[in-house]
Amino acid sequence: MTSNPTPINLKMLLESQTLKRAPFPVPVGWYFIDYSENLKAGELRNISVFDQEWVLFRSESGDKVGVTDPYCPHLGAHIGHGGKVCGDNVRCPFHHWEYDTDGMCKAIPYAKVMPPITKKQAILRTLPTVEKYGMIWSWFHPLCEAPHFELPYIPEIEDKTGYTGSRRGSWSANTCIQEIAENGVDVAHLKFLHNAPGIPPVSASYNENQMRLDIGNGYIVGDMYGPGLNVMRFNQKDPVTGKTITATMISYSVPVTHDTTQMNMSFRHVDYPEGSPELAFTKKQIDHMIGAAEGEESAGFESVDFIVWNNKRYRPNPLLCDGDGPIFPFRNWFKRFYVDADLSKI
Amino acid sequence: MAEIRVTDRNGGERTISTDSGRPLMEALRDADLNLQGTCGGAMSCGTCHVYIKPSWNEKLPARSEDEQMMLEAIGDLVEVRPNSRLSCQVEISDALNGIEVEIAPEV
Repeated sequence: MTSNPTPINLKMLLESQTLKRAPFPVPVGWYFIDYSENLKAGELRNISVFDQEWVLFRSESGDKVGVTDPYCPHLGAHIGHGGKVCGDNVRCPFHHWEYDTDGMCKAIPYAKVMPPITKKQAILRTLPTVEKYGMIWSWFHPLCEAPHFELPYIPEIEDKTGYTGSRRGSWSANTCIQEIAENGVDVAHLKFLHNAPGIPPVSASYNENQMRLDIGNGYIVGDMYGPGLNVMRFNQKDPVTGKTITATMISYSVPVTHDTTQMNMSFRHVDYPEGSPELAFTKKQIDHMIGAAEGEESAGFESVDFIVWNNKRYRPNPLLCDGDGPIFPFRNWFKRFYVDADLSKI
Repeated sequence: MAEIRVTDRNGGERTISTDSGRPLMEALRDADLNLQGTCGGAMSCGTCHVYIKPSWNEKLPARSEDEQMMLEAIGDLVEVRPNSRLSCQVEISDALNGIEVEIAPEV
């Protein structure tokens, strides 16, 4: 005779069958659309971000950029197929209704009377759009609310002198921004996935739309401004000169769909003289951020993170142990960027 | 069921009968009176403009802000009177049996 076996916790074993890769909607925030130099005056093209298509255009004067819903509120023509920039407006090809960058209807060439709603509000959805850091940025909110915060001043990319660095990168990740950003607080993975010498200490603090992350007591200090902008400063003592050198990674990820992301980055640093040891050390720091720098055992995100991001599923009830980073406070903070979602499941 | 006594744009008078529960605009549009009702009740075109005999006023719903705005917008092109209405905003009911309506000029 055998005694009754201990009941099995089936949820533990079977939950993965119902997990989704990224069970989140597109989060609210400011997002990179393109580099300003890539959109000429009078240009119009279709882009796919935030789970749908949009029409991106620049006014003929060059100083206004619009991101609009593609489908004309009149009879539904796709403005990005055959539409045209006319002055400050975009014009639908079907009946030549015109819209400005705020989505206000500015002309209906044959109507004697403009429909009253055109005087009250935008009739075509547009995204609030600004140019900053030499880039085009749009504010996404699923219910069309105005921006909740402004993009920050970043000296490394906005000051006219003192900084340099033209290195940029762009990577496609088969997951959502929350999953990518969670690696910031998951310090244990730095040792095991990235081969860092140990698990560094971490502290994360949250203030409304901002998160500040400090990894390794000031070694990496990151400031996240909503889901779409992360400024990470790597501060490291150069053993040759004895100076602490800072290199800056400006990361601007865009939700292409709710579960795919385009990760974009610019790398900036102090404008050290050519041939100086400071410049050499800075360049090595930047190599280290991206991939494996020469002579190093550890690996940057490019070489190791994607294999995990691209294949994992989100566990809303993860089994964490001592030594894991502060995952739950990060997840609770990130919920603020989901609107109209069932937050109990995420 | 209600009867509508209509004065057309030439001053001719007719009576049409229609079911309750549908917009006055549809009854007029379908009666070959050259009343367009283009926007289908969205209050964005002003082509269903009518004058309703003031004695019916208390049986009609008040103008909404959107109806008011559309009437003001066509005011530069046609005469808008205190008894002007967008007929798409008036629902036919038994209480309106016998209502007297004049088709306003085209915008």
